[in-house]
Amino acid sequence: MALTREQIRSDVADSLGENPSDIPFDENLLDHGLDSVRIMALLERWRRDHGVEAAFADLAEQPAIDAWAPLLGVS
Amino acid sequence: MSVLLTENTGDAGDAGGTESSGDLGAAGNTVDTGNTGRADRRPGSGSGSDTDTVLPLTAAQSGMWFAQALDPLSPAQNTAECLRIEGPLDPDLFATALRRVTAETDALRVRVVDTPGGPRQHLAATVELPLTVHDPGDADYTDHTDVTDVTDDTDDTDDPDHTDNTDGADGAEARADAWMRADLAEPCDLAKGPLFRHALFRVGQDRWLWYQRIHHLVMDGYGYSLLVRRTAEIYTALVRGEEPPPRTFGSLADLVAQDDAYRSSAAFEADRAHWAHWAAECGDRPEASRLAGRGALPARTFRRRTAYPEPGTKERLRAVADRTRSTWPDVLIAAQALYTARATDRSEVVLGLPLMGRMGSAALRVPGMVMNVLPLRLDLSPAATFDELVRQVVLRVRELRRHQRYRYEDIRRDLGLLGESRGLVGPLVNVMPFDYGVDFAGAPARARNLSAGPVEDLTVNVYDRADGRGLHVDHDGNPALYDDAELAAHQERFLHLLHRIAGSGADAPLSSYTIATPAEHELVVDEFNRTGRALPPTTLVGPIESRAALTPEATALVYGDTSLTYAGLNERANRLARHLRTLGAGPGAVVAVSVPRSVELVVSLLAVVKAGAAYLPLDPDYPAGRLTYMLQDAAPVCAVVDRAGRLPADAGTPLVVLDGLDVSGYPRIDPARPLTRDHPAYLIYTSGSTGRPKGVVVPHAAIDNRLRWMQDTYRLTAGDRVLQKTPSSFDVSVWEFFWPLRVGATLVVAEPGGHKDPGYLARLIHEQAVTVCHFVPSMLQVFLSEADAGSCGSLRLVFASGEALPRETVNAFGSALPGARLHNLYGPTEAAVDVTYHACVPGAPGPVPIGGPVWNTRLYVLDAALQPCPPGVAGELYLAGRQLADGYLNRPELTACRFVADPFGPPGGRMYRTGDLARWTGRGEVEYLGRTDHQVKLRGQRIELGEIETALAALDGVDGACAVVREDRPGEQRLVGYVTGRADPAALRAALAPVLPEHMVPSAVVALDAFPLGPSGKLERRELPAPVFTGGGGARRPSGPREEALTRLFAQVLEAERVGPDDAFFDLGGTSLLAVRLVARVREEFGTELTIGSLFEAPTPAALAARLDSTGPAASDALGVVLPLRAGGERPALFAIHPAGGIAWCYAGLAARLGRDQPVYGVQARGLTGDEALPRTLHEEAADYVRQIRAVRPHGPYRLLGWSVGGVLAHTVAVLLQEAGEKVELLALLDAFPAEQWRERPAPEEGDALTAVLRMAGFDRTDENTPDDVVATLRRAGSPLAGLGDRTLARIVDIVPNHARMMREHRHRRYEGDLLFFTAAAPRAEDWLDRESWRPHVSGRIVNLDLDCTHPQLLRGPHLDDIAAVLTARTRELDA
Repeated sequence: MALTREQIRSDVADSLGENPSDIPFDENLLDHGLDSVRIMALLERWRRDHGVEAAFADLAEQPAIDAWAPLLGVS
Repeated sequence: MSVLLTENTGDAGDAGGTESSGDLGAAGNTVDTGNTGRADRRPGSGSGSDTDTVLPLTAAQSGMWFAQALDPLSPAQNTAECLRIEGPLDPDLFATALRRVTAETDALRVRVVDTPGGPRQHLAATVELPLTVHDPGDADYTDHTDVTDVTDDTDDTDDPDHTDNTDGADGAEARADAWMRADLAEPCDLAKGPLFRHALFRVGQDRWLWYQRIHHLVMDGYGYSLLVRRTAEIYTALVRGEEPPPRTFGSLADLVAQDDAYRSSAAFEADRAHWAHWAAECGDRPEASRLAGRGALPARTFRRRTAYPEPGTKERLRAVADRTRSTWPDVLIAAQALYTARATDRSEVVLGLPLMGRMGSAALRVPGMVMNVLPLRLDLSPAATFDELVRQVVLRVRELRRHQRYRYEDIRRDLGLLGESRGLVGPLVNVMPFDYGVDFAGAPARARNLSAGPVEDLTVNVYDRADGRGLHVDHDGNPALYDDAELAAHQERFLHLLHRIAGSGADAPLSSYTIATPAEHELVVDEFNRTGRALPPTTLVGPIESRAALTPEATALVYGDTSLTYAGLNERANRLARHLRTLGAGPGAVVAVSVPRSVELVVSLLAVVKAGAAYLPLDPDYPAGRLTYMLQDAAPVCAVVDRAGRLPADAGTPLVVLDGLDVSGYPRIDPARPLTRDHPAYLIYTSGSTGRPKGVVVPHAAIDNRLRWMQDTYRLTAGDRVLQKTPSSFDVSVWEFFWPLRVGATLVVAEPGGHKDPGYLARLIHEQAVTVCHFVPSMLQVFLSEADAGSCGSLRLVFASGEALPRETVNAFGSALPGARLHNLYGPTEAAVDVTYHACVPGAPGPVPIGGPVWNTRLYVLDAALQPCPPGVAGELYLAGRQLADGYLNRPELTACRFVADPFGPPGGRMYRTGDLARWTGRGEVEYLGRTDHQVKLRGQRIELGEIETALAALDGVDGACAVVREDRPGEQRLVGYVTGRADPAALRAALAPVLPEHMVPSAVVALDAFPLGPSGKLERRELPAPVFTGGGGARRPSGPREEALTRLFAQVLEAERVGPDDAFFDLGGTSLLAVRLVARVREEFGTELTIGSLFEAPTPAALAARLDSTGPAASDALGVVLPLRAGGERPALFAIHPAGGIAWCYAGLAARLGRDQPVYGVQARGLTGDEALPRTLHEEAADYVRQIRAVRPHGPYRLLGWSVGGVLAHTVAVLLQEAGEKVELLALLDAFPAEQWRERPAPEEGDALTAVLRMAGFDRTDENTPDDVVATLRRAGSPLAGLGDRTLARIVDIVPNHARMMREHRHRRYEGDLLFFTAAAPRAEDWLDRESWRPHVSGRIVNLDLDCTHPQLLRGPHLDDIAAVLTARTRELDA
């Protein structure tokens, strides 16, 4: 099942222990506490559950949901 | 065009010839980088750089470059990994893959060249691949026919016997391992390059090791993961005959540009402000958490211990992470914080957090050096839960990441934290979850790090390679701080703690986590405490009476001209005891004794215990109020005094006045008494924190145990003579009085007050042939340095106790009294004098332990949760066993608070909480580390600061009071009181004298407007100002040079602003230790012996001057700016200017060699003695020297000389003199190089001050890590610099870096004339130094003499002869 922007936001919020509504789509997630280990964990999960093929560096280079959406196969 | 760096590429092979030169790169194979065309091979042109791209270093790289420049021969910055590849591998294709990766990776193709504008990295278009292949050939690995042309079949001859495949593989692995270790130990030449190396080892039929070593300046851990994955990707494609996917690496230029942009951005300034704010929140001086308890300079190597936590550990950590909304690395960080807090006994820790520094940036695709380390401060309140700690980690790390681009080096520099003892962080927790799940055309690989770079303290590297093998933990330690056992212990405990964390519930408080492993628990609680010993049920006095019956005619006691036999002493004591019994003395009762040291004192104490009562010693010198309090509190049945009026009458205690007392009517035989071992033997008062002293009641069983242990351990004989000098109110006196009397030895009683006079003690020991005595360590130090201790050859046993025994004192003891043994004892009054003992060994390393437990005694070092601390970890010392006191007289609550149930010993047992900080050594001895509370020991005397504070606060005009013991100079402790209110501080000090014993009266009382308070409103004791001792207010001027000199010496030693000729030493804060220093300074200055005693008698400069007036002329100050090395002589004087350390004593040998008629003056830096401000520029310094030189010699011609920094100063002085119209006829520089050669070099850290001191004495620094080490080296070498005081050394620590800084900022002007130059021509690390660089600053010739020595050796022995010969010839020429 393909990822949605909402699902990405929900998963990111979960990994940060935050409320999804507090996670903006267009901001740098590093400022919200996202780090390499969390990105790796998210990527691992999305690869497993959603067949995502993006590489770690792809996500870590531009850590924002809007930038991730195309990389994660969100149409 | 490109440059081929061929020098290192081929492996020359080792002596055995077993390795092939595995250079796979034939000329045509060099990979085209796509922008510069094919490689043009130009053998031997390795350093040509005409086509290199030249880039500055990033800040991250600069940090590495400076670190390497500080020690160019250190291999510490070599990082390396080894990948084990399980499966077939084609070495040719592998080499091709490596070549392509090298071509794609800018960082691998740089070398770093130092230029006047700073270090630059030269990026070559191509480099030849430095690859060595070790393939022992197919014979070892059967069924393999694909032998390539690189196969080295010579290995068979090296190891011809093996036929077994497994043996061959093991041997190959061992050889590979040795090769890798040897390669890793080779320092890397940054300017030459290449900065990396590969090796491929075939260690089995289908088993390979790929070794990759890269200098940390160009690669970090994340970079390695990029390289490995890219290599695997290209190799796999090549094997499959496919074109590898296109290059994805970014360029080095991008990293440089990114770094440059950041450092000029607003974000940089904001980050700087953040870290400044962070430091301010730490109280400006964040305290690095050090497991070893100290810091050290980075070493060239590291120790490593590797562990593989049990499978599933990561999963369990993940479960904790899920519970806490964190990540498993956060949990690991929290675990290390908890471990560190426990191991350092702190509730705040500062860990180092390495960060890959690439998130949100294109640097994610650049293999290079980007990583950073940042300080992570965490608060570990014992009540918090582990989950709360993890949440704190999450939040603090999140905050830290927002400012992660600011460099570690910059934070340290901003905070002025340079040098060994000023680290910023404790252990580093380096979690590297970098994906290494790679394969090489299907052959899986497993990576192992071999070196992760320099280790400042301790680094915990945790790898999760995503290779299905779980976590891998490397503990890397600085060998200067951790030995193998210590490192292993830290790792085992850490893993044990991780295990417990993973298995504990969310609510477990931090205090419930102990760090001792079960084996360590058993060791410290039981093993170290096996002291059980069955003893006969005797009392303190029984054995004395037995002895008196056994040897009645032996001498029991000597005092002055009086001596008493055992029978005589026994009879006198018996008669007095019987008299005391008539006054109610008996078991359970107390009798006070207030008699100055004398025969009568011994008789009285013995009489009291013979009567069965406990004696209460009352120091006759104590203030009346204190004596009254003790008498009222203890309610003795009577008090024995030497004369009427000795004790205040207001307590109403019946007195037994010895003066005129006739007890001759009593029988002389031992009195009968129903005394048991449980009855009290003595009652001694100690300082009490609430303002009242507290009485400690010690039963016979306790002191009897103590004396029996002592006799068994030290074997006193009838021939021994024991010195009794300790005041009876101090419990050490108990064994002095009674131990000799139990075994038939002789007690030698010192005069009252004699214990303060080292000279008297030395005479007494010598005259009375004393064999055993006791010293408080500070008094022992004074005794050894001041008195003629060498005359005390009769001594065989010396005991030290009462305060920490410094290692230097032990060493000094070993030199002064080689025939005697020194034993360090420890114990509070609450545990019958001493409970631990340690035989000191002069010259042994480290702190002097207080030792292991005495008989029937158990020691516990416990953490805040009363759990045992493992060896090496500090905690509070608790005592249990037979020697414990009953408790405090009339203070049941206090007794219950300090004497608590012992959970480790037999049921019903008690343990005493000492308030002392301590730790076990691995050998079962305890080291004393200080106090947990405000109790202090000053010269052996126990002082509760609260008692002084209460006394101060009770005085008129005092609103608030506090007291501290300050150590403003190392080793010099002073008690200082602080008050607020309207009272006059000087008057307060006087007002305390009648209230407190002398040792509790502060040296100074300082009035404050308000107490400095911390954020929580608590008093910040460390913010209290140092007292300024000032005398001389309205004083007369000193009359005469001697008075003036002494006034100056007083001021220097006392660090007082003003001292008048009539100010008394001890009124100005003088202590006995400062008195020793003053006496030494007087000796230096006047060449006159002076005793401490004469200072007591003549305590003012005027009085002392009168004493000294008959002696010879005053020598000048050896640390003054102008030091006349040879003041006489007709020829123009030679002025020799000091090197970096500021002292010119090094020219003394030169002066001696230049002849009697050549005057020589040393010129020394300001600030070596006083508080003079250091110069701001070399120009300012040189101008000052010009004035000083002209004061000696107003006009030219001038002759100038200087070594090192002194040469640069000499040149500047010469220029200034010439500009003033004076003639300079000689300018001689000894291995000195102009400022611009130093400008871009790193300024020395604190450690280099030590180097500078050693260099002034002509030595290179080797393993000296501390000022003490340096002094020891100087002393061994007989250097006069060994006599430098701590204060001068401390000043040199400031003077050296100041010179380093000024050197770098200095601009030379031109000197008109020739330069006489002496070069230390032995090879040196700073090979860029060049005397030719003086050319622009000298109009004439540069005449050079090469000397075959190093820079520090220049002024030693034969080289000095050569220099002197040249100088003499030249000056004769000038004279002619």
